[in-house]
Amino acid sequence: MRLPIAKYRHVFNVGLQSNIVYRWNFVMRAAFSLIHLAFVFILWSAAYRSETMIGGFSLHQTLTYFITLLVLQFFIGAFSEDYEISEEIRSGLINQFLTKPINYFVYRFTIFVAARLVSGLLALIPLILALPLLGEYLTFPPELWRLAIGLPAAIMSALIQFTIAYIFGMLTFWFLEIQSFVILSMTIETLLGGQIFPLDLLPATIYRISQFLPYYYQMYFPAAIFTGRIDYDSAVQGLGIQAFWVFALLGLANLLWRRGLKEHTAVGG
Amino acid sequence: MIHYLKIWLASVRYSLVRSMMFRGDFIMWSLVELFWMGVNVAAIAVIYQHTDSIAGWSQYEMLLLIGTSMLIQRLLMGLFWSNLFEMGRNIRTGNFDFFLAQPGRPLFMVSTRKIDLDSLLNVTVALAIVLFSVNKLGLAPSAGDIAIYVTFVGCGLISSYAIVLLLASVSFWTIGTKGVEGGYFTIYEFSRLPKQAFSGVANVIFVWILPTVVISNAPARALISGFSFPDTVWMLSATLIWLGLGITVFQAGLRRYSSASS
Repeated sequence: MRLPIAKYRHVFNVGLQSNIVYRWNFVMRAAFSLIHLAFVFILWSAAYRSETMIGGFSLHQTLTYFITLLVLQFFIGAFSEDYEISEEIRSGLINQFLTKPINYFVYRFTIFVAARLVSGLLALIPLILALPLLGEYLTFPPELWRLAIGLPAAIMSALIQFTIAYIFGMLTFWFLEIQSFVILSMTIETLLGGQIFPLDLLPATIYRISQFLPYYYQMYFPAAIFTGRIDYDSAVQGLGIQAFWVFALLGLANLLWRRGLKEHTAVGG
Repeated sequence: MIHYLKIWLASVRYSLVRSMMFRGDFIMWSLVELFWMGVNVAAIAVIYQHTDSIAGWSQYEMLLLIGTSMLIQRLLMGLFWSNLFEMGRNIRTGNFDFFLAQPGRPLFMVSTRKIDLDSLLNVTVALAIVLFSVNKLGLAPSAGDIAIYVTFVGCGLISSYAIVLLLASVSFWTIGTKGVEGGYFTIYEFSRLPKQAFSGVANVIFVWILPTVVISNAPARALISGFSFPDTVWMLSATLIWLGLGITVFQAGLRRYSSASS
């Protein structure tokens, strides 16, 4: 008997190949991100002109945070998975999975992992080219536990990112168009996920509340561990809350899939 | 002139009817834009919890700058964005032919086909942010200052329009420039920063070459510290140069356009 993992290995290979086709897109996208990084540099350098420390961190530490965020985004962020899943449901392409012994979630997640591997590695190209400029700003804390906790945190973040995109894709069973939902939620993610400013700069109460929301664990959490913005205790505690969100979101995704299929009328395909 | 006004009013009526047909969409997209503006305002509020000044600008001066930047962007989105965005697509598909057959100059027909009411609705929100900041700063601008502000915002709108027109016109020469228009957003982001924050290469690119920074800084400065002759000259010449450039490239592309097979 072949292990079930074998079939997904093929999916992974196909995912790798189809994403390598878009290699220039990813490189371009990363290059555009560097322009955004310039915006971030100018803004924060100006904010640091009158202060040496903001929220207990130096300018270099804050910029390291944003650079880490950028790299993480290409390795664990969901790009257009929500639209792709939505399109597969709308066009009836998912029908073929209903009659085969393939789990649609695992299938899509495998493609996601392959895609992020490609986009992550490709995004490193413009970043490495820019390293002579960026290098002097990079400053990481030396503790090894940050890697030991940060890596599983990053993997769970990837799961959360993908599952949220998957959940939005599932909405296609009920709604014709999901774009506005996605963008609306993206604004909340941008803010509470720490893309605009490190979340620890929020007023203490709001920061505490944000730690119980899934957005905190989408990107900020691993980035904050790697760049020394949270201590060991908060990291361990965060890992627990993050694991809770992974299971909660997986449960919701599964529920929506089963409910959605009851609504589904398999047009076309 | 009256002929064009009539055409434009017909487009407005068409857009109005369309928005009312898709009410749900209209509400959702208005919310989306409102949320994005909220994100920018929140960012300022949080940063100023930890510092008193960004490149010499106080919190409410900065809010005034951001409000002004949003005001110009909402106007651009509401009046021109989707028209120019679709122009690129239409050139690729050959649907652009349709505009050439219409009773007016192609540039006018292409730029004013429809308006986006959700963006125009959010112009009022941007305006509210500007007024709130003016109030918080305790400013009492004279009628002249306000006239300069309005003129500068108009100039900013025209320059932004010219840049998007320029980017969209690239489609006349290349196939598959999908997303070039999106480059505008990457550039425009810099208009939320004070001019004084820039130095070195960034200063040359975003302050001197591109009009991005001056279009938000000059109007905000006009409200804060009144009329400035250098700003006025800079703003007017930047507007004329960029508009000239945009139209020239568009016309050159138009001469090159030979339709596309479907």
